[in-house]
Amino acid sequence: MEILKDLFELETVDENCSQETCEKWDSLGQLNLVVELESEFGVSIEPEEIGEMRSFHDVIRILKEKLS
Amino acid sequence: MSYFVFRNNTVESFFPKGYVFSGYDDISVIPENASAYVWFYQATLGFDQSALENTLRGYREKFSFVLGRIGPDKPFYVLTMEELYAVPFTEDDKRVRRAIGEYNDCLWDAGRTHTNVKVLDFSAFIRRYPNDEAVDWKFYFVSQMGINPRLAKDFRVWWDRKLESVALKRKKCLVLDLDNTLWGGVLGEDGVSGIRIGGDYPGKAFRFFQEALLELSRTGVILAVCSKNNEADVLEAWGKNPYLVLRKEHFSAYRINWTDKASNLRELAEELNIGLDSFVFVDDNPAEREIVRQMLPMVSVPEFPRQPYELPLFFKKMVEDYFTVYTVTEEDRKKTEQYKANAARVRAQQAFTDFGSYLESLDIRMSLEEADDFNIPRIAQMTQKTNQFNLTTRRYTDSDIRRFLSEGWKIWCLRVSDRFGDSGITGCIFFDGTTIDTFLLSCRILGKGIETAFLKYALALLREQGVVSVEACYVPTAKNSQVSGFYERCGFSLKAEEPGGAKRYSLALQDADLKTDKYYHITSR
Repeated sequence: MEILKDLFELETVDENCSQETCEKWDSLGQLNLVVELESEFGVSIEPEEIGEMRSFHDVIRILKEKLS
Repeated sequence: MSYFVFRNNTVESFFPKGYVFSGYDDISVIPENASAYVWFYQATLGFDQSALENTLRGYREKFSFVLGRIGPDKPFYVLTMEELYAVPFTEDDKRVRRAIGEYNDCLWDAGRTHTNVKVLDFSAFIRRYPNDEAVDWKFYFVSQMGINPRLAKDFRVWWDRKLESVALKRKKCLVLDLDNTLWGGVLGEDGVSGIRIGGDYPGKAFRFFQEALLELSRTGVILAVCSKNNEADVLEAWGKNPYLVLRKEHFSAYRINWTDKASNLRELAEELNIGLDSFVFVDDNPAEREIVRQMLPMVSVPEFPRQPYELPLFFKKMVEDYFTVYTVTEEDRKKTEQYKANAARVRAQQAFTDFGSYLESLDIRMSLEEADDFNIPRIAQMTQKTNQFNLTTRRYTDSDIRRFLSEGWKIWCLRVSDRFGDSGITGCIFFDGTTIDTFLLSCRILGKGIETAFLKYALALLREQGVVSVEACYVPTAKNSQVSGFYERCGFSLKAEEPGGAKRYSLALQDADLKTDKYYHITSR
């Protein structure tokens, strides 16, 4: 959550955050998000997953798969 | 509009917010309202050597095209190219490497022939990392990132430091401890010939460090010593130990005593007339470093290596962090001598009771020079670095100054010498029409009435050209309070005082007293 908030310069962030609702979540934002998530959680997010990751729920799902 | 970046890869995350980017490999748009331009092309990644060679040649042509279309008063920051991924199928095929070399040569040439072009050595940045980390292929294929995005944060730090070095901002004075910092061992215990300097390790490492510091001082960084020792012992060591590289004459000032280092640093700052925020303090003792950090948070205090063999890397990092500057002017090279000549002047002053006869004895020669290609870098540097005797503290680059001249401003700089030495170019005055935009003098020539003589003489030159009155202003900063009443003392009348403390003045030239005292031998050209 905090990562999304800082990265996309949001005042508030909730679970409904997604590429559609968030102005700064464009392709460059996506890139920065991947870099931040990888270093924060020590995982490698694969290109296919980068393509699928369009909302907060997607992020959580992908991270859960990685970390379980 | 802000900085505009020409690029051929995804590099947005490498630059601060607000930068604007060209399309990939696109030079069709060159926005005229950008405040500065950046050229950041990276080597294309691929396998067909002759195709790569051709692409690089194309980049050179594109660069030349853009260079020809950017105004000479707009800063143009150009990054060099580095081979990030090479799979040479035969060892002797160096075509791409050669083409990259030629591309970089083309950039460096532009830097030599165009004053607005500053070449920043990207290779020096990327070489800090293992070659295999330079590119992250996942991000290359997904987002066309030519460089690993994980390096972005480090790159932004490097970029900021580089822009500062181009603006000629750096620390001015390096204060050094002696025992176990400039030599191994403790002088008071080991004696003049017992300290480790030169010869075998660890003396070899300390001598290497001293040689490095000597060269640093030749670029205009002032060296000083702050050490807990007996002064007589140190003077003896400087005089007698044949392996020392740095001796008494290399230090502009020193404090060798048993007083605490924070007090000594304050005294050094006063004696050298340099702000403490321009100091870097190097000491092997963590307790001393901590005290200075606590008492004088504006002083930079780098960590000191535990082992003498780590000194070369420590030195490299220290220079990168505090002392790198894009070019060095003639004045910088002479700085140590000038600060020492100043000390001699202070001593001469003590011998005279009458200030006038002291000034006369100095044989002060002042010469006003109009801004030209040779002195503009120095003038820009003074606007960037002068804090105390600076009426408006406006920071300008050499491109700014060239633009002012093209707009008809009158800009003079001041060269001062006396019987103790040549202080070089140490002051300047900018007239935007009849308004004094900038008036500043380097602190090391103050205390001789030169500031008033300089101002009067410049105003007299304007009067000869038919100017009847001038306006001026004082803009307060944290450091220039000593000049808050300067224009009043020169006979200007105060017109307005703003809430923030800024003051506006004017002076009618026809009745103004613009005669300068006979002690000053002033010429202009």
